Amino acid sequence: MIRLDNVSWRRGKKDSGPVLAHLSFAVPQGGFRWLLGPSGAGKSSLLSLLHIENLPTDGQMTILGKTVAQDEKRAALVRLRHRIGMVHQDYRLMPDLSVADNVALPLRLQNRPEDEIQDEVHAILKWVGLGERVDVPATRLSGGEQQRTAIARAIIHRPGLILADEPTNALEESQACRLLDMFAELSAMGTTVIVATHNESLVRRLERPFLFLERGHLVEEGDTQA
Amino acid sequence: MTRPFSGRKDGLSLSEALPDRSLFALVAMMGFLAALTLAGASGARALSARWSGGAAQLLTIQVPDANAPLATQDGSRATTTRVQAVMAELASLPEGTEVHQLTPPELARLLEPWLGEADSSALPLPAIIRVRLPPEATVPATLEPTLNSHVPGTIMEHNARWGERLRALANSLLACAGLALLSVGGIATMITGLATRTGLSTRRDIIKTLHGLGASDSYIAGRFAWRTATLGFGGGLCGTLMACLPLLLLLQMATPFASVPLTTPERLLPQNWQALADTVPSDMLCALALLPFAAAFICWFTTQVMVRLWLLRLP
Repeated sequence: MIRLDNVSWRRGKKDSGPVLAHLSFAVPQGGFRWLLGPSGAGKSSLLSLLHIENLPTDGQMTILGKTVAQDEKRAALVRLRHRIGMVHQDYRLMPDLSVADNVALPLRLQNRPEDEIQDEVHAILKWVGLGERVDVPATRLSGGEQQRTAIARAIIHRPGLILADEPTNALEESQACRLLDMFAELSAMGTTVIVATHNESLVRRLERPFLFLERGHLVEEGDTQA
Repeated sequence: MTRPFSGRKDGLSLSEALPDRSLFALVAMMGFLAALTLAGASGARALSARWSGGAAQLLTIQVPDANAPLATQDGSRATTTRVQAVMAELASLPEGTEVHQLTPPELARLLEPWLGEADSSALPLPAIIRVRLPPEATVPATLEPTLNSHVPGTIMEHNARWGERLRALANSLLACAGLALLSVGGIATMITGLATRTGLSTRRDIIKTLHGLGASDSYIAGRFAWRTATLGFGGGLCGTLMACLPLLLLLQMATPFASVPLTTPERLLPQNWQALADTVPSDMLCALALLPFAAAFICWFTTQVMVRLWLLRLP
């Protein structure tokens, strides 16, 4: 369950204008939301906020049933972050690590047994079509391969919330469709999914509720089926 | 191509961070200085302990023309020598006092650092009497005038007179050594802090990604701290070992004052290692052995604090 009540976030000084202002919406557990809006509307900022890379400066935010406040204990935020998977626009892969090691990171940070990690990693890389590229350093991957590696890393620990920022940018049409099917499948299995995108054809292909942002404000909330 | 699972845990690759290598070298230099300072402090401490202990209870009496007959006031023939007269006077000292006249071989050994092994029997050497007072006993104020009036020319040296000054000197040297050690520790802390800050700035994006993936503060700080502690231990060990050479040279310089010769001027390394081990204060050996661990702790602690403070910028 995701709930924002009159949430605002400003970068830096108090007197600077808010990047996100008075956002209020809720997404039930297992819900899927498109996050739409023009460039600079605040989509990436909202995803960062939901990923707890930033904390709201005003309002109340509840992520996976846990209220996130400014004075929240850091250990509690770390535990919460473990339950979120994030696909960044710029992938943020570790350049010195192989595809397999990159994907294994969330599990290793949870101190899972190495045998289990290796089985999970091989399975998920096969699923995203990188089964033959497990030992390739991240720096030698194409854009699409990097994106799929980032997606595999975001979902390998079966998070309760998946946030994706333009996840299909570097993917071919067929791969993008496959990724959408995967997100829909995860949502059906109870994972909350929020995907920010510009790709209208993608939105038309998977008709789901959306949030439309403009200049940091939520200007429309509806369903693409309507 | 790399193996699918390279064994690298998180991509921080701290071993490849260039400033870390300079940290090793700088901590080694600090370790070298600290080892020398510790040796100096240990020496000053031993000196202070010696002067505040038995040495202050020692009296040394020189009797020139020791075997000459004691001159009498009425000009009659004396029945005792000058040294016998002094020994008779010393018999009145408090109970428990040890009085010992140095034998010719003991006298020769005492003068060996200055005269060598040459035969000194031809020299007009005074008799030397060593007096050790029992603890808490004081020298009677009348002893020196009495000796001088009965046996003119007798010289009495009481260690306690200048022992206090020497002890004060030793204590001030000890304080200086403590300050020097604090300074070395402070510099090591600053060096570690700077290296950590550089490492944090070069690994900034990777740390932020790890943080986003759910790495805790203690995990990230622990990874950095373990790395700097390892380098600190290596640097400290290297510096301590480097300091052993000048310390051996200093021991060689101190050889003439040692009861058992440890080296000869022609040889740098001691021939008698057992004697060396007996001569070197055990607290100094312990301090030198602990130095690499102290360096590792300073590096570990500094890095933990620095990284945790830096991570506070992230939610």
